[in-house]
Amino acid sequence: MSTSSALFVVIVAGLITYVCRSSLILTLADRTLPASVERALQNVGPAVLAALTINLAVGSDGIGSVEFAEVAAIVVASMVALWRSNLIWTFVSGMVTLWIVGAIT
Amino acid sequence: MTDVEQKRRFDKVDRRALADVLPVAIPAVPFGFVIGVGITEAAMPAWVGWLTSPLVFAGAAQLAIITLAGTASVWAILTAVLVINTRHLMYGAALAPAFRHQPRWMRWFGPYLMVDQVFALSALQVDRSPADFRRYYLTTGLTLFVVWNSVVSLGMAIGAVVPDNWRLDYAPPIMFAGLTLFAIKRVPAGVAALVGGFVSLAAVGLRDRLGIVVGALAGVLAGAIADEYMRRRADRSQADTGPDMSVGSEASP
Repeated sequence: MSTSSALFVVIVAGLITYVCRSSLILTLADRTLPASVERALQNVGPAVLAALTINLAVGSDGIGSVEFAEVAAIVVASMVALWRSNLIWTFVSGMVTLWIVGAIT
Repeated sequence: MTDVEQKRRFDKVDRRALADVLPVAIPAVPFGFVIGVGITEAAMPAWVGWLTSPLVFAGAAQLAIITLAGTASVWAILTAVLVINTRHLMYGAALAPAFRHQPRWMRWFGPYLMVDQVFALSALQVDRSPADFRRYYLTTGLTLFVVWNSVVSLGMAIGAVVPDNWRLDYAPPIMFAGLTLFAIKRVPAGVAALVGGFVSLAAVGLRDRLGIVVGALAGVLAGAIADEYMRRRADRSQADTGPDMSVGSEASP
């Protein structure tokens, strides 16, 4: 790929990314939406985070590629998250479970 | 800089945000190294590849650019970037109410820093005052920006250094599982997360992470239906004067 076309790709990709991130913030910032839409927007965060979690956990190789240790790590981390509501504890418990169960199985 | 100025500057940094961003920044380190190493092997000049970090600032999109360069057309690469980034539209929709009370510069600059981790952390802070939300958002966003650009550069300079068997590749889903649970504060949000998760599992085979968008849309729809159902039921129980409604009336103020 030539330097000029590579540079074109990188600059346009940067613009696309910025527009995806900013467009709704900028267009919705100065207007009040109907109450039902505002309530629906409150569910976007949990829905997209859950979808992101599952997509990252399973990966592109499908559900058959998921190891038992990985499932155990997510389950333990989720329980610790509900119990402590603390991100560092969630991270540490999940990773330790992944290492221990991964070493056993 | 005087001591007072230095202290004032430090006060602008949200220390709680720094504590929150640390565990989400750690998993970004090996991914940043992978991107850095990938840039040195990509079919484009290294300095152009490096520019993806400050200009695009989105790991998955950067990976698509550097791996597709040389094998795919310019338009195929840009289409892949667009598809991968569609989830950011949803982040913008979710955070738009919190940005409504921000100054103009923040509305324009803030989205530039909106990577997955910044969205996930700041979505939990939307009830804060506009100034506190801004401090939290900028502290997490700028910290991740500095960490990310540093590790990509280091990856280019020295190659991958974190051993694979540390399994830091699996840290992001662990972190996001916790952040999802923190974000659920109402029943419709729980329904949205549950449906979003299951649909994205069914759609996991779709290319370019489209499963995330499909799952999220299904989740938002399910959450809206659950919300409407609960409101109707609440309205009905208010209108109803039956004896079994005593529990409902106790709960109302």
